[in-house]
Amino acid sequence: MTVETAATRSTTPGASSGSGPGSGPGFAARVAERAGAGGPVVSILIPVLAVVAALAVGGVLIAFDGSNPLSVYREIVSAVLTGNRGFSDTATAATPLILIGLGYAIAYRARVFTIGGEGQYLIGALAGTAWVTGAGLRDLPRWPLILSGVVVATLAGAAWSGLAGWLGVRFGANVVISSLMLVYIADSALAWGVRDGIRDPESFVNQSRQIGRASLPELPGTTTHIGFAIAIAIVPLAAVLMARHRGGFRITAYGHNPSALDANEVSNRTVIILVMVIAGALAGLAGIVETTGVNGRLGAQASVGFGFQAIIVALLGRLNPVGVGIAGLGMAGLTIGFESAQREFDLPSSLVGVITALIVVFVVVGDALAGRARGDR
Amino acid sequence: MCMGGPSLMRSEALVEMRGIHRRFGETHALAGVDLCLRAGEIHALLGSNGAGKTTLVRILAGLDRPDEGTVTVLGEPVTKFEPKVLRAAGVALVQQHFTLVPTLCASENLVLARPDGWRVPRQRSARARLGALVERTGLTVRDDVPAGALSVGEQQRLELLRALDADARVLLLDEPTAVLTDQEAEALLAVCRTLAAEGRALAFITHRLGEVFAGADRVTVLAEGREVLSDELVTQHDRAGLASAMIGHQSSGAFTHRGGRAGDRAAGRLVVSGLRLGRLHGLDISVASGEIVGVAGVDGNGQADLEAALSARVAPESGTVAVDGAVLEPGDPRGRRTRGLAYIPSDRYQWGLIRAMDLADNLELGRVPRWRARRSQRRAASAPSLGHWDVRTSGPAARAATLSGGNAQKLVLARELDGRPRAVLACYPTRGLDPTAADTVAARLVACADDGAGVLWIGAELDELLAVADRIVVLAGGRLLGPFFAPYDRAAIGLAMAGVHDGEALQPVEAVGDR
Repeated sequence: MTVETAATRSTTPGASSGSGPGSGPGFAARVAERAGAGGPVVSILIPVLAVVAALAVGGVLIAFDGSNPLSVYREIVSAVLTGNRGFSDTATAATPLILIGLGYAIAYRARVFTIGGEGQYLIGALAGTAWVTGAGLRDLPRWPLILSGVVVATLAGAAWSGLAGWLGVRFGANVVISSLMLVYIADSALAWGVRDGIRDPESFVNQSRQIGRASLPELPGTTTHIGFAIAIAIVPLAAVLMARHRGGFRITAYGHNPSALDANEVSNRTVIILVMVIAGALAGLAGIVETTGVNGRLGAQASVGFGFQAIIVALLGRLNPVGVGIAGLGMAGLTIGFESAQREFDLPSSLVGVITALIVVFVVVGDALAGRARGDR
Repeated sequence: MCMGGPSLMRSEALVEMRGIHRRFGETHALAGVDLCLRAGEIHALLGSNGAGKTTLVRILAGLDRPDEGTVTVLGEPVTKFEPKVLRAAGVALVQQHFTLVPTLCASENLVLARPDGWRVPRQRSARARLGALVERTGLTVRDDVPAGALSVGEQQRLELLRALDADARVLLLDEPTAVLTDQEAEALLAVCRTLAAEGRALAFITHRLGEVFAGADRVTVLAEGREVLSDELVTQHDRAGLASAMIGHQSSGAFTHRGGRAGDRAAGRLVVSGLRLGRLHGLDISVASGEIVGVAGVDGNGQADLEAALSARVAPESGTVAVDGAVLEPGDPRGRRTRGLAYIPSDRYQWGLIRAMDLADNLELGRVPRWRARRSQRRAASAPSLGHWDVRTSGPAARAATLSGGNAQKLVLARELDGRPRAVLACYPTRGLDPTAADTVAARLVACADDGAGVLWIGAELDELLAVADRIVVLAGGRLLGPFFAPYDRAAIGLAMAGVHDGEALQPVEAVGDR
């Protein structure tokens, strides 16, 4: 940790006099505050060191469990890096994390702390699946079907998220809470949908029809669906929009000082709705892409927590689109690698969760130390 | 009641700071400063913005540490610069920007700062503690509303009460009067006298020379981190002498008179008609081309509502604001700019600037194109404007938070007054600035009027308005009184300012006019 302390000192001379203590709530607020400030070196170094530290602690836990940590980690690395299969699985697992994480990163830049990605993901999957398996529509040619399904899912996710934003703007409802509560409503809507609304009449369990022709093609030479390519394409797009488009400026400015934005550039309402709609659209897109690319149909168990994991991805990625892409891939690699190692070494399945949580803890600690070194208590 | 212990004699030095140095990166904020605070005395710290006054008191309060030098409090050398340590030693600082919890009421704020033991005191005992303190000091503050709803003056009194609650022997006030009305400032100085008479050592930072003579025993003048005058008796100096020490050249101490433009009254550039919002009861103002209209008055008489409505930030209940006939749309700040209304907000850090963003971004605020140039290009493009408006900075890449008050205001001017605005809404444009910077800002606004803009200047300092305005109206109780024309009758304006006012314990009206 001494390394990053020194780096902080050297990159931000004299910053101690200006900035006051952080007023925002919690981890995300602090990350949002420091995103961009504090120098690029520190902001990259902290998550990297956090991952290393978490893996080190994880190694101790593995040793307690009776396995050799080094061979476990070797297995993880080889599972991810060797062969087409590891790459493909990692890319597939990273797709929803990157998509939802990008949405979060943009919203958190504005310090709008939505955590409802899971609900928007489910609504996107539900609406998209309903569309592509709907009577009359499912007989459309392949590409029109896929594209229209994507549009429907994206709009549905955007609307679901926009609802939380509108509730905040209109009635002052806290976005953190309303977006989270909408996850549970979305979950119930999904349960109803697969039991009743869009249920496959020929199936004994609660699930939708097969998505049939809407199934996403694979990228040539891999077993990864093209959704991954979409996610990877959106990364630079988001980066450019945030850096060079007026909307990106407004989002960042809103995060720093909503009053000044309101008095000079645009009403705050617009920005809140904008980031919520963007976050929801990306989560909805993730929902349909996961259904048509991986699952093939929508079941009652579609909620697997991508919407929550993506929060960590956004924060590890320092709310930076490129960072989110890297963090999403890293997180997916960790998951895929541990899955393989679990089978090989008979490790507890909770281990990957423990390590993920440790990464978050170490990032928080690292940020706090960097902040202290900079002198803003 | 008696604060001074038996061992404590008047004129005993409670604080001694010797050879204090403090550097922030390239900046040498303090270059060997001495400060001595004695029991029973009030010490005024004077200096322009960025002279190092705030850094000095922050060090003494433990909020910052010196790079070199020694600090002795009550005979004990300070080794650890932490707020807790210095507070325990008997030093209390009332900061320029208040540190109250806005959602808690006065007594809750009081006990929160210094809880007895580990649990929060009961409401009743908290009230009793506040009551006893109020009785002892004579500083009244309402306890039935959240601190955020108190007037600025009351918030300041509460800050002061909180400092006195710990029975501080050394009291530091960072620009205590900057946000106060003249009456409140006078009352505050009277309180300071009482506190000093009880054996405390007080130091306050100010820009207002009048207060030094009205309230202080000794004065130290800082300029660029060095002492120009050190620990001198106030009685040995006069206004002109201190002013010149402060700004480095002889100054009259007053503003250059610039009023007297006729303006073309027939055609109003900025026209407000029938404006109702909050405290405002149907206001009509018309500012002509080439004219500066000063709005005098005591803060809290509708000034905030007037600013909000005229800047089109808040929709009025009724009435319109128009620039050259084009009505402003509330909630459309870019529309305000395209219609030609420049807006210099009363709180530049809240409404004017984004401190965490760089100067180039701040200059672009309000006119960001759909697609922005590359960052390096944006920064390069903003350099000439920064130079033209004399914003002293390390460059366009610096964050706005690094600017001193005067330079921050010049940055706002650079953005707002660039491109010949048709009308200017200037709200307390010189607030918190040192005389040199204030003079520059005033000159820029006057130049704007000379260039044909209609300028509406909402001001707190009557002297300043008298000097720059061609016409003065008084906003009191949500109504406009006047207009007054040069040569101004201070007494009449003073009466108008107090005319409809129904606020809390104000000093008699006469005090307003002749400061």
